[in-house]
Amino acid sequence: MTKGSGRAAVGAAVACLMTVPAAAQNGQPAAYQAPVISDTGKLAGPRQPLFFRHDVHAGQYQIPCLYCHATVAVSSAPGIPSMQTCFGCHQLVAGGKRPFGGGSTLSAARDSAARAAEAAEVRKVQAAWLGKKPSEWVRIHALPGFVRFPHMRHIKTLGTESCINCHGDVRAMSQVYQVATLKMGWCVTCHVQRQVSRDCTLCHY
Amino acid sequence: MDRRRFLKVVGVTSGGAAALSACGIGPEPTEQLIPYLVAPENQVPGTATWYATTCRECAAGCGLHAKVREGRVIKLEGNPESPINGGRLCSRGQAALQGLYDPDRVTEPMARGQSGEWQKLTWDEGIARLAAKIKDARGRGIVFVTGLETGSFGQLVDTWMREIGGRHVTYEPFAFEALREGNRLAFGTSAIPLYDFANAKYIVSFGADFMETWLSPVGYQNGFTRAHAFQAGRDASMARFVYVGPRLSLTGMSADEWIAAAPGTEGLMALAMAHVIASGRLAAVPADAARLRDLLAAHAPGTVADAVGVEARQIERLAREFAASKGGLAVAGGMTAQYPNGAEIVVAVNVLNYVAGQVGKTVRFGPNHALEGAGSFRQMADLVADMNAGRVPLLLVHGANPVHSLPGTFSQALGRVGYKVSFSSYLDETAAASDLVLPDLHPLEQWNDSQPRAGVYALQQPVMQPVLPGTMHTGDVLLRTTGKPGTFRDYVQTRWRELHGRLGRGLAFEDFWTDALQHGGIYRDPPPQAVRLSLELGKSAPGGAKPLLGWRPSPEEPLLVALPSIALHDGRGANKSWLQELPDPVSKITWHAWVEVHPETAAKWQVVSGDVVLLKSPFGAVRAPVWVSPGIRRGVLAVPIGQGHKAYGRYAKDRSFNAFELLGDVPTAYGGRAFTVSVAVARTGDHRRLATIEGDAREQGRGVIEVLPLERAERLKPGQHPFAEHGVPSYAERALEEWAEAQHKKASLGDYAGEHPRWAMAIDLTKCTGCSACVTACYAENNLATVGEELVVRRRQMSWMRIERYYTGGDHGRPVGAVVTPMLCQQCGNAPCEPVCPVYAAYHTPDGLNGQVYNRCVGTRYCANNCPYKVRYFNWHNFAEPGGEWESWPDPLNMLLNPDVTVREKGVMEKCTFCVQRIRAAQNRARLEDRNVQDGEITPACAQACPSEAIVFGDLHDTSSRVAQLARDPRGYHVLAGLNTKPAITYLARVVHGDVAETGPHG
Amino acid sequence: MAETQAPRVTYDFVTRAIARTLGHPGKGYFALLGLAVALLGVGIVCLLFLLRYGLGLAGYSHPVYWAVYITCFVFWVGIAHSGTLISAILFLFRSGWRTAVYRTAEAMTVFAVMTAGLFPLIHIGRQWYFYWLIPYPNERGLWPNFKSPLIWDEFAIGTYFTVSTVFLIMGLIPDIAAVRDVATGWRKKLYAITGLGWRGTNEQWRHYTRGYLYLAALATPLVLSVHSVVSWDFAMAIVPGWHATIFAPYFVAGAIYSGVAMVITLLVPIRKLFRLEELITGHHFENLAKLCLLTGMIVAYAYCTENFVAWFGGNPHERAAFYYRAFGPFWWASWTMYVCNAFLPQLLWFKQIRTNILALFVMSIFVNVGMWFERYVIIVVSLAGEPYERFANATYNPTWADWGIMAGSFGWFFMWFLLFVKNFPAVSISEVKEVLPAPRRAPHREGAVHA
Repeated sequence: MTKGSGRAAVGAAVACLMTVPAAAQNGQPAAYQAPVISDTGKLAGPRQPLFFRHDVHAGQYQIPCLYCHATVAVSSAPGIPSMQTCFGCHQLVAGGKRPFGGGSTLSAARDSAARAAEAAEVRKVQAAWLGKKPSEWVRIHALPGFVRFPHMRHIKTLGTESCINCHGDVRAMSQVYQVATLKMGWCVTCHVQRQVSRDCTLCHY
Repeated sequence: MDRRRFLKVVGVTSGGAAALSACGIGPEPTEQLIPYLVAPENQVPGTATWYATTCRECAAGCGLHAKVREGRVIKLEGNPESPINGGRLCSRGQAALQGLYDPDRVTEPMARGQSGEWQKLTWDEGIARLAAKIKDARGRGIVFVTGLETGSFGQLVDTWMREIGGRHVTYEPFAFEALREGNRLAFGTSAIPLYDFANAKYIVSFGADFMETWLSPVGYQNGFTRAHAFQAGRDASMARFVYVGPRLSLTGMSADEWIAAAPGTEGLMALAMAHVIASGRLAAVPADAARLRDLLAAHAPGTVADAVGVEARQIERLAREFAASKGGLAVAGGMTAQYPNGAEIVVAVNVLNYVAGQVGKTVRFGPNHALEGAGSFRQMADLVADMNAGRVPLLLVHGANPVHSLPGTFSQALGRVGYKVSFSSYLDETAAASDLVLPDLHPLEQWNDSQPRAGVYALQQPVMQPVLPGTMHTGDVLLRTTGKPGTFRDYVQTRWRELHGRLGRGLAFEDFWTDALQHGGIYRDPPPQAVRLSLELGKSAPGGAKPLLGWRPSPEEPLLVALPSIALHDGRGANKSWLQELPDPVSKITWHAWVEVHPETAAKWQVVSGDVVLLKSPFGAVRAPVWVSPGIRRGVLAVPIGQGHKAYGRYAKDRSFNAFELLGDVPTAYGGRAFTVSVAVARTGDHRRLATIEGDAREQGRGVIEVLPLERAERLKPGQHPFAEHGVPSYAERALEEWAEAQHKKASLGDYAGEHPRWAMAIDLTKCTGCSACVTACYAENNLATVGEELVVRRRQMSWMRIERYYTGGDHGRPVGAVVTPMLCQQCGNAPCEPVCPVYAAYHTPDGLNGQVYNRCVGTRYCANNCPYKVRYFNWHNFAEPGGEWESWPDPLNMLLNPDVTVREKGVMEKCTFCVQRIRAAQNRARLEDRNVQDGEITPACAQACPSEAIVFGDLHDTSSRVAQLARDPRGYHVLAGLNTKPAITYLARVVHGDVAETGPHG
Repeated sequence: MAETQAPRVTYDFVTRAIARTLGHPGKGYFALLGLAVALLGVGIVCLLFLLRYGLGLAGYSHPVYWAVYITCFVFWVGIAHSGTLISAILFLFRSGWRTAVYRTAEAMTVFAVMTAGLFPLIHIGRQWYFYWLIPYPNERGLWPNFKSPLIWDEFAIGTYFTVSTVFLIMGLIPDIAAVRDVATGWRKKLYAITGLGWRGTNEQWRHYTRGYLYLAALATPLVLSVHSVVSWDFAMAIVPGWHATIFAPYFVAGAIYSGVAMVITLLVPIRKLFRLEELITGHHFENLAKLCLLTGMIVAYAYCTENFVAWFGGNPHERAAFYYRAFGPFWWASWTMYVCNAFLPQLLWFKQIRTNILALFVMSIFVNVGMWFERYVIIVVSLAGEPYERFANATYNPTWADWGIMAGSFGWFFMWFLLFVKNFPAVSISEVKEVLPAPRRAPHREGAVHA
């Protein structure tokens, strides 16, 4: 159908849906355990329509970034996961069953309340999928229109773990907020340290 | 555009969001990111996907590749696999994109209310209403007018009309009736053969503008340049091209010789040439040509010379050369030469080809052109008659705009039609005059197929979701109206199942279908079709033994020729700002029509360029601004077709005049329409500044365009440089060398250290025809703003690519000619623009480009003053401001903006950077695959589009690259090399047969 | 120079005569001031439109990318020059006649530079980023391009403005002190502050004269440097008609020429208005006229050289450019310039003209017009005439946006000037007295000043 073979991509997509990430499968609790958040008001960063927790997914269950942001290594845009991707897991995973971290010795009542709350968020995801209403995330990392940032080249050079360099350690963020300024000076500093080109038309054209 | 709708259309990803906000310099507002519900297959955000489909902008049917980003098609390029255009595309084809995103498209079905106002309908209502009307009119003369439809849709209409006792009229304003009838008279078949320009060695065009609108412009131009290009050491020397016609058209500008024969006498000249060849047995004359003896005898050069206005010696010379070349090709039947005796001219030219033994060689019947199936003007005239007689209760129109091309008769007759339904996507004149409008999808949103040439089965697939959810494929509408099951896609597929049966070659249908989709169709070579001279021709040929003088223009009144415009075609291009702002390749005028007048005629009438005159023909009158040009025969006037729309959207409406108003509406003997008419001319005393980009029509010997006679070009040895700057004293040489040394030292610090490519370009002026496809490609790729007529008048156009056209000769009896050159940023190695920029917005990149950092520019414009090539353009206004006075991309046109290129802000200088975004993309790709960029991997938009493959791009430091080799070519030179700017663009001198058409006083 | 003043001119007379200029302003004054402010208003409105809708409102075309605004810029910088020349250079040459006129010239300098400085900011495409031309450390590690003549310009103009302002204020101190002693009301307070506690003691005078001398020496080279740098904006470019080695001296001469002309234009009405006939006499005007003639001749010579070199150099582009100047569509502009700047001033050879104030006034107006057109011709006509690429050349028509902002600049200039002459002594009291014969008996007050 296209110049680039399309059907391969479909196959890949299907494969992804079938395989739930390794860390998530063998249910033994990971080293890091995301805390219980009773009051989201205190969290940094804009409030999202759906309380998606990177600290639970990427932190506690160690789901690799590329599982959801699949195109970051091949394209300038990282891509944000489709609701299908969310539902791919959450048709099985109801939520609210994870081991609580943050040294939480919660009373039974508060514990169940917290679990109910998390399960509720997961139900929102399922509702969004079934109701065909993708949730509208608030954009946090935005560059001006005159800047081109090829994600893939940075991943290629710095590896798939290097996301934190710019996005901060989202594995420990209950709600994502902007860490780096993403201003030109900040970019240049890094380019100088790593002795890579600072030619203007690298990013501006 | 309103974001919600945008999202509905494309289902946005972060990439899509960025694409939107790429409009305008300055940080974008924090915004929502709406994920896909289901990620579409084979779509990677931030990376383009390509779909193969077919261009429907004219009957040529070129193959397309549509570049899709985040679900929006943002650029159209030629499909290299298509035998029609071989990966190239003309301006008109590329601008189809603007038809898709036209801000004035009809958004949903509409019907006229009692008081004539438009009422929105739902599709169910609309279809119900249509069905009702058909029920009433069934069998009482329903007429369905469509454009040329050689595929499923045409078949659907045919069968349907047969069912309901209606009639299907295909109407193409440029239907080449003369050509078809001429072929029928000569060979007994009205088929339109394939003219093999690529293998021709001597080309004579009798008014066939095969680079503009003649049959298949892109393919033929490509073939022509293969034959006509100069290639050192090629055994067959460059083909000679003679253009015969009253006006030096774009096609004519590439000619080695222009013969301004008296209009209508081209046929006499062709017969005279045939006479010389036959009588002198200069070629292997087929035996049955003997029957022509009488006819030819009556057309000896001496006999016709006076009528044609050419000396007999010249005709004989041409005939000898034509025959001696052993590869002659004579073409005729262009719209510019569709005189009342057009068919006779074609017959004569066929005779010439036949006598020279070229039929079957350079004139190949078999892969015949689709236009053979188009209706004729006579059918249209009959329809008008029926309408007037009230015999048409219901008229359906699709893909045609007869009210514009038949302004007088048709629109009057329309009043007598019971009910008029239009399936147009736009509110053009015909749609505006109808009672019901059922907006069709744009061809880029449709399933359909066509057969532009025998053996070529071209497929059309939707390359994106419909821009307007309220539109519906007319095929589906018809199916629903007739209550047939399935969608039009199924209908197309059923037809392809039949095709699969014949051409399947044992493939499973699914694979056959997918394969066809991937390659844009199925391409087969049809068997050649042998033709013989028709038996009538000898005896009762038009005119028989007496000279072919079917028609002569009245001597006292000037003859006006209506020209098909390469950009606007028959007027269908007029609603696209790219085409409106594309300078006409010949006149360089944008946004309005004009009348071409010979300098002597102008002096006689005491008019200058810009004076408005009144042109009065028996059929109508228009007011036209004069453009004085040496490229037209004395006493002949020329006006372009395509402007003067009364409707058809903001870009087309009320722009100067409609040339069709001057033309007659009576079909000629051969059932076509004459595109010439005698007019009376009167001065009005008004004057206007032409919206032209032309400064000086003469090159003044500035060395911008160098010309070489073929003899000299052939003698050039590698290493010779006839155009190298001479007369530089030795001390200056030394100074320059030292300077270069110092520059090199300075330029080896920081990012500049180490090995870098030097991006460069080579432009072969022997190939460049000036067709301006590259200009539109640049608009599409680099988000160039269109500024509108008023600003062009003030020279504010933004085109980074300027096709300069200089006239040559004309004085002291030297023949008039024209030379063209593309002028774009030369990416100087020693650029005058760089040191003067106070903020380093203009600076030299390590890979040798003159970078322009838009977001750093403060707009002192010093760089533009200091640029000797004048290829820097300034944003005088904010062309991206939504709703602004100078807005260039009114919603939803902004969806075609290239997300990889910044949209420039008010007050910023901009310029060509060899499509740096494509360079960076290729470098990123190569880096991911741990390899270096290969030569030929990067193609700037202009080079990609060029139908004559005149532009080559690559790395000068890679000595094996094509561009490096061309840069060493003896024909190579740099424009204004004397300024020591060290340009990266090497122009290869234009090679001409015979004497150099002088470009000015310089040596 | 004592013989130049009438015998009744005494120290006392001078002080009172000049103090009188600061008296209550008449209707005429307010009318002029109102006119100036109105013009300024027009300019501001045009500028606002320009900011909102972009430079397209002005008459620019491709390839005429600089036009009226840069013309005005060079024009006003030029005007500025005579001030420093008269006040600094003539001071060093100890030419006594300057004393009566230099204050006006100096004030004119400062205000002209203030006007000129606005145009580079107005004419750029994104005015709100003008500060990117100023070198300041930033995290992006970006600096302006010190190779660009525009950056040299910025420094030249900046320096010139600073020095000439300091010079003006410095010269004012003793005079302010003098008028302070005769002034009353709020003005007394104003002068008390701006007088910087001047007492006119020997000590102060010694330091003052020493400092003034040094400052003069410092300002002198600027007269030559500033306009040379401005000329390089053009000479450094490769535009035919700009790229010439004579530009620096040519521009400097032209600048002083236009400046002196402007001094005359301003002095004549002031003299009338403030009845300073005794202080500013025909003798002063004649000297100014001589200066005018000298610089005028240099300019005329430059015109000849330009055209000769264009022809003699044999460069087709240069030749075309100068042919276009004289006989192209802009012939009227070029000939206005030639006539006003090169031919008319020849009349100054005649003493009757030099000493006829009215004739001089008219002449000076012509020179001002001519010099404005000189810049217009150099900038616009060169760009339109021969842009190397024959196909790209185009004509140019100014629009209301050009004229409006130009008018505004005149309003701006005259507003400041009028405010100045009404609030500060337009003629130097102390220096005029220096050239007066010593009084028969030392009067009590001036004694202090005279010291």
